[in-house]
Amino acid sequence: MSVGQTHGATGHEHPELSFIRKYIFSEDHKIIGIQFLFSGLIFFLIGGTLALMVRIQIAWPNNNIPILSKLFPVSWGQRMDPAFYNMLFSMHATIMIFFVIIPLLGGAFGNFLIPLMIGARDMAFPRLNMCSYWVMWPGFLMILASFFAEGYGPGAGWTSYPTLASVDITAPNSHTGQILWLLALMCVGLSSMMGSVNYITTIINLRAPGMTLFRMPLAIWSMFITAILQAMALPVLTVALILQLLDKTLGTTFFLPHAGVAIGNQGTGFGGGQPLLWQHLFWFYSHPAVYIMILPAMGMVSDIVSTFARKPLFGYRPMVYALTGIAGLGFIVWGHHMFQSGMDPRLGTGFMIATIMIALPSAVKVFNWLGTLWASNTQYTTAMLNALAFVSMFIIGGLSGIFMAATPVDVYIHDTYFIVAHLHYVLFMSSIFGIFGAVYMWFPKMFGRLMSEFWGKVHFALTFIFSNCVFFPMHIIGVMGHPRRYADSTAFEFLRGAHGLNIFMTVSAMLLGLAQVIFLANFLISLFRGQPAGRNPWHSNSLEWSAPSPPPHGNFETTPVVYRGPYEFASPEVPEDYLPQTRKLSPA
Amino acid sequence: MQKWWSVLFGAVLLAETALTLVAPFVGWGLPPLANRESFGRDVDYLFHLILALTGFFFVLTEVILVVGMWRFAGQPGRRAIYVHGNHKLEMAWSLVPAALLLFIALVQINAWADIKYAKQMRPPHHIIEVSARQFEWRMRYPNEQTRKEMTAALGSEEWSEPTSKKAEDWGHDSTGFATDFHTVNEVHTWAGANTRIYLKSRDVLHSFFLPHMRLKQDAVPGKVIPVWFRPDSDAFNGEWITGKGWQYEQEDGHDKVWDLACAELCGWGHYKMQGRLYVHKDKASYDRWLADAIKMQRDTDDGRKK
Repeated sequence: MSVGQTHGATGHEHPELSFIRKYIFSEDHKIIGIQFLFSGLIFFLIGGTLALMVRIQIAWPNNNIPILSKLFPVSWGQRMDPAFYNMLFSMHATIMIFFVIIPLLGGAFGNFLIPLMIGARDMAFPRLNMCSYWVMWPGFLMILASFFAEGYGPGAGWTSYPTLASVDITAPNSHTGQILWLLALMCVGLSSMMGSVNYITTIINLRAPGMTLFRMPLAIWSMFITAILQAMALPVLTVALILQLLDKTLGTTFFLPHAGVAIGNQGTGFGGGQPLLWQHLFWFYSHPAVYIMILPAMGMVSDIVSTFARKPLFGYRPMVYALTGIAGLGFIVWGHHMFQSGMDPRLGTGFMIATIMIALPSAVKVFNWLGTLWASNTQYTTAMLNALAFVSMFIIGGLSGIFMAATPVDVYIHDTYFIVAHLHYVLFMSSIFGIFGAVYMWFPKMFGRLMSEFWGKVHFALTFIFSNCVFFPMHIIGVMGHPRRYADSTAFEFLRGAHGLNIFMTVSAMLLGLAQVIFLANFLISLFRGQPAGRNPWHSNSLEWSAPSPPPHGNFETTPVVYRGPYEFASPEVPEDYLPQTRKLSPA
Repeated sequence: MQKWWSVLFGAVLLAETALTLVAPFVGWGLPPLANRESFGRDVDYLFHLILALTGFFFVLTEVILVVGMWRFAGQPGRRAIYVHGNHKLEMAWSLVPAALLLFIALVQINAWADIKYAKQMRPPHHIIEVSARQFEWRMRYPNEQTRKEMTAALGSEEWSEPTSKKAEDWGHDSTGFATDFHTVNEVHTWAGANTRIYLKSRDVLHSFFLPHMRLKQDAVPGKVIPVWFRPDSDAFNGEWITGKGWQYEQEDGHDKVWDLACAELCGWGHYKMQGRLYVHKDKASYDRWLADAIKMQRDTDDGRKK
């Protein structure tokens, strides 16, 4: 790894920093971004392993599984305990959402790219930025510790609905694990809040001369809008987490109904709260969070697609408006998670209309990506293949959302595998393909070396095939009515036909997991052995490519001046097929 | 050889299209619909309408993507067209989807109201109180008197907390014997009956899911939520024979079974909350079962109010 090698050679008046200040408690946005990247990838492995164990249980619910069952205590009869299974899928989702996708998109790429792409020397608040990473660590430790809490850890789903999550007697031994879960999420929320305040300030105040808002790359637009979403929605989640923590520890009853709840002859006594209140508060954050987990990927994919299509991005302004539209509508659609929750169904009608209309800006984005591809001169680099996979898979994930948005259809497919398929097409096969694309695209800028294109393509092809084998059949068993979060569905007559598909998906999931080893090896080996990248290996236009790879502390030798937008590919003004934002053309 | 990447995309997408088309014919489609004569038909109609519309746009966009990947694969010396957008195209691909989406939004409003709006539910022929708990469904089949009290207290109210302790006293005579019939995990109704369920929960969230009726509703502690369904005239799946129990109809050599499942995570035994829906041929057949059942309840101590 050659991060910071060029440090000191740039003539900026930064004093030489100790190793700890440079790489551990660093205030450099690039190092912080890379720290987020490494911890995100480690948690990606943990979350993936949990997913594989979930799949194994679904495919072979009544069998003693080789190797794995040896690890189970004798008291389980060498089978997976259903409460343990509940913990697996709860923690899989929690880790993938709060410790992988959000930190990778916002923390890693947000941090790394924002100052570089707008021509700033660093974030507006470098120390706050450092805190935004290190406040993740109590979260890391608590979420990992919760695995070892009594009763295997939190098992009320990543949504942690009361009263299952909030009342101890409803889930024996869930007390400590759930409290750790709540505290860990608060740390993540605090980190995101620090990050988003910093991003908003930086983008508004620290743009290089000439970098008008409508000359910003879409990656920056998307991160700007995401930061605003986070800053507005996060307080609501934090409040909800605190309320549940109070219910859990101090015996308040925010989520306990008037008459309380009872298990056997144990009761809670009177409540006075409302279980549905949690769902409103939770989804008021967590629906925008869905966009927090996709918009930055959309932005980065737009940059990747335009760069490798060697063609200006089609419809730059409509793309910006579509991002804004998705974000704006994103605040008034949280109720579509609650159509069957017991919320007044008349509210459902309103939420349904808003939800259906959110398909419109999504469609506009897809059409503009296709418009960019058309009449292009496309280079199929690994980054581009991942970006195109993002587009084609987002089409499936976007269209399947319309089924759930339609309230009468949702009555039937709500909480079935159809929603599991939908959310994985958006979050795995869109966001993660976007993240893979971004890693291949900006790895050279981060570390000064290229990743192997050959192994990158092998990894891409296998991931593309197997992820479709895992997630597409979930639509089918969802339509058959297979409920989600079932440790065993073999007892139901109407699901008899689904079991073969379940086994097929589990085998594919194992192969999908195995294929990620290629990515990991490629990533790690390229850190040390990759070919030197040079400043602008992809012949792209945005500002980060005018800085050295990796950029030194302070990023640019001289403050860049911006003359045009970031997508001037195939411009007739120059013989090359790209025209960097910083290049001044002498008047002809 | 760059352009061959489009074939990988095309092959995967084609396989998925084929699977979608073939699935209903190999037993991987919607489960048989037993609620055709009321909202079940609307649900299936809307599902297929949305499938057709989204299917059209899926094929359209993915074909453009794959063909574009093939046709515009990079060649040395070639240059992309220098174009930043097209106002007419933007208008077209905004307005056409907008109109279609608005159509989808409007066309379903009535079906949703028909399923879930308490004020629009058909007058019930039959009322069951379903109380969910970890990990079973407790059913109460009210007698005439209880039924009147329940509808008076709940029927007109859309969403209410259980009003008072009085609700607990319903269905018992002065000596404390149950005059309603109580059972576990068995929903009994008859073909063609507008069946109303008053759904409650005692502990955590559950969800009452009858896949063949296309019905799902969460049960929430502290709420009584009315839902309804109507089994078709040919949805009956067996009959009660005194002394022998329930005899299923046969279909393709299998018992004709309507499952009841829990669809909201409710704890370690979530997957075990299985129940059955028993659709009697007619009210007379249902009444024969109820009389037998109440007699059996009387003969045991289970009926005594605790």
